[in-house]
Amino acid sequence: MTVSEPAAIIETALPASLSIPASPSIIDVVRLTRTIVTPTHKVEILRGIDISVPRGQFVAIMGPSGSGKSTLLGLLAGLDTPTSGQLLLDGVDITGLTEDQMAEVRGRKIGFVFQSFQLIPTLTAEENVLLPAELAGAGAEAGGRARELLTRVGLADRLDHYPVQLSGGEQQRVALARAFITRPPILLADEPTGNLDGRTGEQILEMLLELNRHEGTTLVLVTHDPALAAHADRVITLRDGLVVSDEAVAAAAARG
Amino acid sequence: MNRMQSYRTAAKIAWRETRASSGRFLFVILAVAAGVGALTGVRGFSRAFHTMLQRDARTFMAADLTVRTFQMASPVQAAKIDDLARRGIAHTQITETLTMASPLSQTAPLLISVKAVDPAVYPFYGEVKFNPPMSIAQALQPDTVAVADGVLLRLGARVGDTLRIGGLPYRIAAEITTEPDRMTGSLNVGPRVMLSRAAFEKTGLLVPGSRAAERYLFRIPPEIPIQGIREELRGVFRDGLIADYSEAHPLIEQGLRQSTTFLSLVSLIALVIGSLGVATAIQAHLQQKMDSIAIMKCLGAKSAQVTRIYVLQTAGLGIAGSLVGIALGSLVQMAFPVLLSHYFQISAVPRFDAVSALQGLVVGLLTVLLFTVPPLMGIRTIRPALIFRREMAAPALSVAEWWKQKAGEVVSALVILTFVGVLAAWLSENQKTGVYFAIAIAVGMLSLAAVAWALLKSLRWIGRHLPRQAGPVLRQGIANLYRPGNHAGAAVMALGVGVMFTVTVWIVQRGLLQDIVHTAPPGMPNVYLLDVTAANRDAVYQLISSQKGVLQKPEMVGAVSATIQSIDGAPMQRDEGPREGGRGEGGRGEGGRGEGSRGEGGRGMLRRYSRAISVSAAAEKPAFTQVLEGAWWKPGEVPEGADALVSVSEQAAKVLGLHPGSQIVWTTPQRTFTSKVVAIHKSESVRLTARIEFYLTPKALEGLPAIYYGGIRASAEAVPAIQKALFDKFPAITVVNMAEVLDTIQGVVDQISMVVRFISAFSILAGAVILASSVAGTRFRRIREVVILKTLGATRRRIAQIFSVEFFVIGTVAGLMGGLLAGMFAWVALNRLLDAKSAPDAWPMVVSIGGTAALAVATGWLASFRTLGQKPLEILRDE
Repeated sequence: MTVSEPAAIIETALPASLSIPASPSIIDVVRLTRTIVTPTHKVEILRGIDISVPRGQFVAIMGPSGSGKSTLLGLLAGLDTPTSGQLLLDGVDITGLTEDQMAEVRGRKIGFVFQSFQLIPTLTAEENVLLPAELAGAGAEAGGRARELLTRVGLADRLDHYPVQLSGGEQQRVALARAFITRPPILLADEPTGNLDGRTGEQILEMLLELNRHEGTTLVLVTHDPALAAHADRVITLRDGLVVSDEAVAAAAARG
Repeated sequence: MNRMQSYRTAAKIAWRETRASSGRFLFVILAVAAGVGALTGVRGFSRAFHTMLQRDARTFMAADLTVRTFQMASPVQAAKIDDLARRGIAHTQITETLTMASPLSQTAPLLISVKAVDPAVYPFYGEVKFNPPMSIAQALQPDTVAVADGVLLRLGARVGDTLRIGGLPYRIAAEITTEPDRMTGSLNVGPRVMLSRAAFEKTGLLVPGSRAAERYLFRIPPEIPIQGIREELRGVFRDGLIADYSEAHPLIEQGLRQSTTFLSLVSLIALVIGSLGVATAIQAHLQQKMDSIAIMKCLGAKSAQVTRIYVLQTAGLGIAGSLVGIALGSLVQMAFPVLLSHYFQISAVPRFDAVSALQGLVVGLLTVLLFTVPPLMGIRTIRPALIFRREMAAPALSVAEWWKQKAGEVVSALVILTFVGVLAAWLSENQKTGVYFAIAIAVGMLSLAAVAWALLKSLRWIGRHLPRQAGPVLRQGIANLYRPGNHAGAAVMALGVGVMFTVTVWIVQRGLLQDIVHTAPPGMPNVYLLDVTAANRDAVYQLISSQKGVLQKPEMVGAVSATIQSIDGAPMQRDEGPREGGRGEGGRGEGGRGEGSRGEGGRGMLRRYSRAISVSAAAEKPAFTQVLEGAWWKPGEVPEGADALVSVSEQAAKVLGLHPGSQIVWTTPQRTFTSKVVAIHKSESVRLTARIEFYLTPKALEGLPAIYYGGIRASAEAVPAIQKALFDKFPAITVVNMAEVLDTIQGVVDQISMVVRFISAFSILAGAVILASSVAGTRFRRIREVVILKTLGATRRRIAQIFSVEFFVIGTVAGLMGGLLAGMFAWVALNRLLDAKSAPDAWPMVVSIGGTAALAVATGWLASFRTLGQKPLEILRDE
């Protein structure tokens, strides 16, 4: 068997019933709930969320601490299992998948940017960027793309540096390059500028938006920062596990 | 992605990971290397030694075929040898015996082992080398001898001096540096003196019945098959031990096989401990990699992919460790000839053995992989959500899931144990040994773990309840033992196992020697006289009785050399040697005595009774003898012409299946006679009479040539004077001073236990490596701690003290535990298995605790001294 397109793997790995129907939206969240039962009490973190995100949209999710926004992002990434409801990524229902199937979905469809970068300390910048592609079985061409992405985020001269040798802003730029290496249709970002100073945060955001535009990715971004959210096409606000507002941002229109 | 490619990717990622944290893996590699090194060293040496035995077999025997007997050749035997000579088979005779020698000066005589050879012919293969260099004919003239360095050393003599043997003077012509058939020689108690047969015959040392061994060496032309000659010789030398070079020394081979098995198992223990260390290190490593693994899973890695990465990494480390171990093993292999130099002149042992190296590699790799299965299985349970949001990381485990995890651990423990058992069975070529070894390992580890756990638990309690005056150093040092990720328990256990093993060997060795030297009950002779003729008997008795310093009445026992012809009508089996197979005189399996059911040991014993044995006459029951079965005869009980009566020792009765009523037919060169067993007896083992296993009614032995043995109990300082007085008057009598024999025994025991300790020390090394890796594994936490302590005003010295307390406690606990268990095991071994009485000995305990504590502190510091120098700001800024 020759090296196959990553897309082929996910399709063959998934149950036949999970064929991909044509859908206008790339993310469909239907009556999603998540409840945590501890020995002493029961916490309803998400109490029935319905969201639909069309392809290419930039959605910001806001809300105070404990509103459930990070849990929602985790569920979108398939890192946790919902208590009830349905979650479709690119038309595929991921709620019933095993952990390994979920991992394949992530490798194929989702890019990640974390608040605390989460680079692997024992790999160089270039190797960190390459990792998702290699895990998905990409061939030699991935190396070129990794260098191209690193160049695009301004780190062409830092390919062989280890994370500890990079500043926080540089580490997050490596993380950005890594997020785009497999050309995921969906990018999930969790407070991507939360650990950076204002100026660096600005730069990172600009790069994120630039890459997003260039790659045509659907971006879901969780943030506290209204200034960040102002760049989004749409802002969804959560409170106590429910969507309290969901509106298009004027600035987006203004930005055109 | 196909399988090959997925492995290639995994290997790539594994390599990047390893490269970046190579320092930490040093410990893993060393732990494996310690075990594999010991194993390949032992097996490599054993194989090389075996090969050498095979290759140089003729040289080691100095002949193609040898016959060894303890009697002079009979006319029939001499005729056969002459017949062979006519057919082109060369032969030469060697006589070996023990006797006394002394320089002309006034020093006390020395017990020597004499070897009389024909310098014109001997040796057929190999070469005797002398210092100063000369030919054997030059060295061995009718009035000269060549001696081993031991003779010169102990008599304070030099080449050129004169030595008195059997009352005659001989000039020491040279020192013997190499003697090809030294290993196959017979009587190697004293240092060697070699002389020509002509010189030897003058001494008059040979009398019928004296303890001399005759060896006939044959050189057989290649065109004559050895087996045929062997058969012919067997026909006439029915009592002789016949060996040809192809057997390559059955006794040495057997000894080699046994010690290889034993040392392999000791090495396996080192390897098991090392692998425990690897498992601990890998677990610590994976603990630190939890985030990275979670990230990889977030980025789309499946559990199998991640596991593959770390399995490959572990395998790589296992291979690296095994390779280092193989290199280490070659060093061990080189060390062996030095350790054994006293017994074997081994010069040309090949340095590298590919087969044992390969075995080491496979065993090392498999062991590492198996032991790391439990931590590697943990990879599956790491959830990607871990890094995303910590609170999502710990979903409550259901009972079923929890059990699934526990069951996995139990199953893998069982698999590991089975594997270790199979390995032990393979190394020892014995299934039972494998089973016992696995059980012993399991029980040993569990009990050690329990003791370690209990000790650490109680220490923790003590640490918490220390009075405030004890100061922060002690309190914090103890608290450090329980820091998360600190494998204090594992380190204590691993060190403890190593210490336990090494100290056990040490205590047993000390106990054995102590038992021999000190606990001999009063009354046991400490000087023995051998080969006293009937003519000299009374004169010798008077002489020794009148000596100063003789503490009690000397004992003298006469013995006649006789052979058992048949028992209850069944002919005695003449078992020729350990060689198996139905070749031989057809007696085997045809109702001859003793075939079949008896094991190796039984057959060895049987062989002893099939040769000429010493029997003694007794008119009545000798003192210190106890009748176990039947009844002893009364003086004059046997009527004229009736069968003689015989009392048999417990052991002989057991081996030969004798009981009161059995009939034994004896032969001596003079006559054949029949005897009836009436009693089974047991002698106090310290008595000279205990050597006599058959007592006959006096009439039976009348007129047969008897040799007398004497036993004297004398004060130590009087012994040299007694030896000298005897030597002056009766130079042919051999006087054995037990103190000298004990020196020899001590030498042997020391040498053996040194080899064992050398190998078992590898398990201590593995233990130290585990401690070091445990310390290194907590390096980041230590650095942070050092920095915080420094920020709060602690001096470097104070911090050093805190760390030292921690390492010291680990070492002390391990030493205490290892020492205690070693004391227990050694006690069992000495008192139950070896039947030696040993007093409890505090010294090994003190050494094991002190030594282990010192080792632990040193190792701990080696692994952590860098953390002390850390500047606070670098770390705090990073926060």
